[in-house]
Amino acid sequence: MKKGFSWYKPWHGWIFLIPTLIGLFVFRIGPIIFAFFMSFTDWNIMLQPTWIGLDNYKELFTDPNFYQILLNTFEFSLIYVTGTMVFGLLLAVLVNSKIKGIKFFRTAYFTPVVTSAVAVGIIWSWILSPKYGLLNVILEKWFGVTPPSWLGDAKWALPTVAFVQTWKMMGYYMIIYLAGLQNIPSHLYEAARIDGASKFQSFWRITLPLLSPTTFFAFTIAIIDSFRNFEIIYTMTQGGPQYASTTLVYSVYVNAFVFYRMGYASAVAYVLLGVVGLITWINFLLKKYWVQRIY
Amino acid sequence: MKFVSNVFLYILLSAIAVIMVFPFLWMVINSFNSEENIFRIPPTLIPDKLFKKNMFENYVVVLRDYNFLRYALNSFIVATSAALGQIFTCSLAGFAFARMNFRGKNLIFSLLLMTMMVPVQVTIIPEFLLMMKLGWLDTFLPLIVPSFLVGSFGTFMYKEFFENVPKDLEDAAAIDGAGPFKMFFFVFFPLAKVQTVTLFIIAFMNNWNDLLRPVLYISSEKLMTITMALTQFQSEYEARWNYLLTGGVVAILPLLIVYMLLQRYVVEGMAHTGLKG
Repeated sequence: MKKGFSWYKPWHGWIFLIPTLIGLFVFRIGPIIFAFFMSFTDWNIMLQPTWIGLDNYKELFTDPNFYQILLNTFEFSLIYVTGTMVFGLLLAVLVNSKIKGIKFFRTAYFTPVVTSAVAVGIIWSWILSPKYGLLNVILEKWFGVTPPSWLGDAKWALPTVAFVQTWKMMGYYMIIYLAGLQNIPSHLYEAARIDGASKFQSFWRITLPLLSPTTFFAFTIAIIDSFRNFEIIYTMTQGGPQYASTTLVYSVYVNAFVFYRMGYASAVAYVLLGVVGLITWINFLLKKYWVQRIY
Repeated sequence: MKFVSNVFLYILLSAIAVIMVFPFLWMVINSFNSEENIFRIPPTLIPDKLFKKNMFENYVVVLRDYNFLRYALNSFIVATSAALGQIFTCSLAGFAFARMNFRGKNLIFSLLLMTMMVPVQVTIIPEFLLMMKLGWLDTFLPLIVPSFLVGSFGTFMYKEFFENVPKDLEDAAAIDGAGPFKMFFFVFFPLAKVQTVTLFIIAFMNNWNDLLRPVLYISSEKLMTITMALTQFQSEYEARWNYLLTGGVVAILPLLIVYMLLQRYVVEGMAHTGLKG
């Protein structure tokens, strides 16, 4: 090809980007900036907003319920991130075995991922319901224990919902880990076996270190994903009892669209953004200490 | 020894499969139960309507009397339009990012990736006010337009694919006199069939399953999507578990069929590009 000949002009690139640019600025960057300013007002849709400075944030940080909500958010994330990472890896190791019919099991484990959180929430609400639910019937009849009312008990509601969401998404992390496992060259395992390493040793010394980029990817996604819990909470507990299963994400919804406190809800949303940003940033900072470089 | 460990492995794999699939099976089983039988203690594994004359009664009631056929159609319209929009927007952008050089493109691309991490709750309040100003409340538009117009993962997927198309193809088309639009629509876009199918399925699923936007924007009964209808039904008829679970089956069955048929696209696409766009 001759140099300098080109089938496009630089401005053509911008034409191709028009829909994306509209979407990016109107539905993402614009609202992010707008929400920031809204968080300093007392807007409630009906009346003209007035600027109230830091009042929303002051109200937030003096409200004891808010600390509970913050703690709930972390608890949900902790259960979700550890659950999906640990079980995702275990499932991946299992379905990585080369035996007949393994595809069937992969398909089965991935099924909850493609279904809607609403349907999943409904199924589990039924299974977990205090009197007629299958789980409590089994626990009572077979094991003789008196189970709690999972979703009605302030102590159990949040962990139960977090568990259901973890159950739903495990298969996704399994697939991520499976791809990582299949990228590890098999000659490494052969060499280790010849050197007399046990299966456990080669998992610990070969698999885990070589898997660390995958783990990092899965971890990053799991963190972001752990804040996407609106659907499951809305379906299973509506944030209750009291505030027992309300997370930041759910609190934004309630304040904005049940109480119509748009300004206050924007402040909650900004706390949420701060939390997500901070955790993601720390995650990237710590990356160099534990993620192996692979060429 | 090998045989014993394989048997053990199969038992373990099957036990986990039961944990992952049984809840859905339990829902299907209960969708064939009458209202009396569903509250029986201990629960029966064989539903009382199974293989009887009125076997599909719950489905008839839910689809016709409770309008779920309508809601499923609404979800289908919304999810299809949003998914087609994603394909249009993301393929164009992915192509520009991959094959064209112009100033500012890296900035736009990183903005696209960065905003992907922002939870929807941060942007939804201004979005709601915008939709209100536009007079779009209680229409399908707010459910379709935001995901029609921007998609990070879709763009990323097309970009990666188009980057790996050999330069020779581009040069040959350019010598034949193809301009930028011909280049995209007749040379590059037809090559990305796998990406297009993958993005369609994933975007369709995300929009079919979405709950937040329908709950905020839809107030007329006849415009409800199926996920929203399920939650409404749940709060209105708390004890009608046989119908509610039947509605649940209706809500997930289309996706399960698509998943079973096009598994390769779904699983690989999701693993490769992440969950939501």
